Amino acid sequence: MSNTATTPSGQPLGISHRPSPTAAMFERLDNAGRPAFIGYLPYGFPDPEVSLKAFRTLVEHGVDAVEIGLPYSDPVMDGPVIQAASQIALNNGESINGVFRAVETVANAGGTPLIMSYWNLIYHYGVERFARDFENAGGAGLITPDLIPDEAGEWIEASDRHGLDRIFLVSPDSADERLEVVAKAARGFVYAASRMGVTGERNTLSSSPEQLVERTRRAGAGRVCVGIGVSTAEQAAKVGAYADGVIVGSALVHQLLDDSGRNALDEAEGLSRLAAKTDELVAGVAGAR
Amino acid sequence: MSVLDDLVAGAVEDAAAREKVTPLEEVKEAAVAAPAPIDAIRWLKRADGIPVIAEIKRASPSKGHLSDIPDPAALAREYERGGASAISVLTEGRRFLGSLDDFDQVREAVRIPVLRKDFIVTDYQVWEARAHGADLVLLIVAALDDAKLKHLLDLAHDLGMTVLVETHTREEIERARRAGARVIGINARNLKDLRVDVNRYAELAADLPEDVVKVAESGVFGAVEVEDYGRAGADAVLVGEGVATADDHALAVERLVKAGKRVKASETTPLSTHQGPYWGQFGGRYVPEALITALDELERVYTEAKADPEFTRELVTLNQRYVGRPSPLTEAPRFAARIAEKVGITPRVFLKREDLNHTGAHKINNALGQALLVKRMGKTRVIAETGAGQHGVATATVCAMLGLKCRIYMGQIDARRQALNVARMRMLGAEVVEVTLGDKILKDAINEALRDWVTNVKDTHYLLGTVAGPHPFPEMVRDFQKVIGEEAKQQLRDWYGIDHPDAVCACVGGGSNAIGVMNAFLDDERVNLYGYEAGGNGPESGRHAIRFAPGTGQLGMFQGAKSYLLETDEGQTLDTYSISAGLDYASVGPEHAWLKDIGRVNYSWATDEEAMNAFRDLSQTEGIIPAIESSHAVAGAYKAAADLKAKGYEHPVMIINISGRGDKDMATAGKWFGYLTDEQSKALEVTGAHGDTVA
Repeated sequence: MSNTATTPSGQPLGISHRPSPTAAMFERLDNAGRPAFIGYLPYGFPDPEVSLKAFRTLVEHGVDAVEIGLPYSDPVMDGPVIQAASQIALNNGESINGVFRAVETVANAGGTPLIMSYWNLIYHYGVERFARDFENAGGAGLITPDLIPDEAGEWIEASDRHGLDRIFLVSPDSADERLEVVAKAARGFVYAASRMGVTGERNTLSSSPEQLVERTRRAGAGRVCVGIGVSTAEQAAKVGAYADGVIVGSALVHQLLDDSGRNALDEAEGLSRLAAKTDELVAGVAGAR
Repeated sequence: MSVLDDLVAGAVEDAAAREKVTPLEEVKEAAVAAPAPIDAIRWLKRADGIPVIAEIKRASPSKGHLSDIPDPAALAREYERGGASAISVLTEGRRFLGSLDDFDQVREAVRIPVLRKDFIVTDYQVWEARAHGADLVLLIVAALDDAKLKHLLDLAHDLGMTVLVETHTREEIERARRAGARVIGINARNLKDLRVDVNRYAELAADLPEDVVKVAESGVFGAVEVEDYGRAGADAVLVGEGVATADDHALAVERLVKAGKRVKASETTPLSTHQGPYWGQFGGRYVPEALITALDELERVYTEAKADPEFTRELVTLNQRYVGRPSPLTEAPRFAARIAEKVGITPRVFLKREDLNHTGAHKINNALGQALLVKRMGKTRVIAETGAGQHGVATATVCAMLGLKCRIYMGQIDARRQALNVARMRMLGAEVVEVTLGDKILKDAINEALRDWVTNVKDTHYLLGTVAGPHPFPEMVRDFQKVIGEEAKQQLRDWYGIDHPDAVCACVGGGSNAIGVMNAFLDDERVNLYGYEAGGNGPESGRHAIRFAPGTGQLGMFQGAKSYLLETDEGQTLDTYSISAGLDYASVGPEHAWLKDIGRVNYSWATDEEAMNAFRDLSQTEGIIPAIESSHAVAGAYKAAADLKAKGYEHPVMIINISGRGDKDMATAGKWFGYLTDEQSKALEVTGAHGDTVA
């Protein structure tokens, strides 16, 4: 096994003291008096080229940070919408090697590029190699839905060396000790799941995310953003009133899918619907505080 | 002049200058008056961790300026708080920008051993170290000839100090040993490209005796390197930049200490009682944070239950009166004769009859155990995955008995093939959900069960069917299945007067029946253990579920655990194939991955054809129809016999685990062997009679 034969870091690179990229974004938005709007789309959906246009559309229409999803064959934290989109992307030749182009696209458009990935994809690509390529592309941080801090030794090390943010998740069911573990290991912000369950749109949000944000801050987290289930301007405004950022995924992905939910819409129609939905949500976030 | 010569010359010159101010006699007096040194050896080797020597270093010739360190004492205190076992202080002033003043500040600040790291080649420097309260000093073999090395080593030992003797090559290690070194530091940096090579470290350290403390000295930056060196046999590690330049020094050290503990815990023996979360480098909990609270609760409740005689009594009673345990150990002389014909040795073969359990397979052992835990946790709803039926049926069965709400997830393809099993589960009161996502097979059923669990974790238990998934499942399912091997061992003695088997054969999908039958024999080196994966159309065909053969599985994280995994070069899960849906899984339990890596179990595979031939052989020689899954173990018995023959056995005693019965497989078998007309086969397909189980 090559990964046990040599130390992945090889010639040790020092700790990068590059300041947290998302911290700079939050400070800027504090001055503007509003929370961050973070939009999710899978890379390669519906195909690599159109996905780049979609990322650019998000930023041009006011998304602050883009959560670039890496499609995975077994996404256990995702509901039907994102599962379908991931499958379409995989069928259309998505490859992790191309994701750094998406990172560059977001950065060039003026957005803060985040990647969301199930851990096996990063592990398989090589954690150090991923961190290096991600940093070189202008990446800000990585969201890891199935990597808890207890298992994240290699990622903590690599992200320290490359000045990348580590975004771990917490859920309403998380005990206070767990919130502390996450807050201590996180860099940039903590991703608070608004409810128990997988990604997807919801008509109503319970009051528990507000409590979770509060508890997570008490546990030592600097910035807490809320995702999972946010799909309307009204919900975005409500969440944005207490969270540092509002994360929207399925509701955006949805715009690029047809009524069956299994096929992508044609490019022009999809992108225009995406732009309209983004505008709607941006307005919600802008009026949050 | 080499860099080292240069550094030594400078250090000698500086020491001479200090000696002018403070003559040797004065230093000796101070050394005698200094508080007694701490016996650092005991701090540098421990059974439950990898001690961390954290270094205070401002600069180095190779990397230049590293860190200002205005307050060495404060930094040392943070290291100590993080769990460091010793502090190393660079006292060289020219290139490393250290001083004895730094050393004094550190010595004053901490209670753990402190190492003076300098280019020590004179008596004066050794006395000086002791006078400043050093517990450890560094001697570099490359800077000293044999006589000088021995002299300084003896002097330091006489003064009660521990000596870290730094080496780079095999030759230097031998010189250090001859001089009487007790703590040897190995610098495994490849001098060509300065990369640190853990293999080279392992090679260099290989011949060192147990009583020498081995310190990995180079290239430790973080948890990854601690783990690599720990697995390569290092007792302790020395780390500099990775902790000195971190934002939170205590946290950085703490992470290393935790990594060391984890490595040690992952390799404990005896094998049969090894506990999770780690099995060597495998296992863990690669799941969403949302499940951690539930997994913690499960672990806690399970630990309590294990210690509760009432829980054990209830499980044993139900095993007897409900499941029908113990299952017999049946001798199979006519099948043994078939092996003798084919292989040319004459074994005695015994079949462990899990096929005779209630519901027809070993799955009920685990389902029952976990269902009792569900009661204990006060949860009311159970979910489970099933590949083709057996675990789903076992779960539905125990839920019916205990009055628990039950939902079974099943891939749509499997559910269609298994309409009768679906009906069976519904008859038992379970809700069966067909999964139409992904590939619509076992792994997709597990994904959907995990999504359900993430959503409903408060009142729901996920009754996982095999020794895979996140901790504590691999350990817990092992514990519920190990009764198989314990009974077999006892029955072999009591019924047949045989002390121990020479070989145990089992099929391996996720691996629960194999772990179950092998666990009792894991620590008995006399017993050869054989696991057989589903070979499908063979390893080169690309249509199989072989995870362990070269060129098949790779390391990866899948459905909660790190293990071997069939995946694409992008890390996406590959489709698998086997005639037995129960073995048709892309990954394998982490304990098996560990047992493979440490060489305790021989893993191989049986193809569809080999398994089906064995299915017929056992049916016709013994009147026992095994499940197609178990037929892989029966087919494996021929291969195991050949291996035993090569090892010199003439009359080996072999146990084959018959994990389930084959009635459910009759339609598949009838079709395979041409016992059914096309019309009959089609009719059976329509009624969904084609069947298989989950191993």
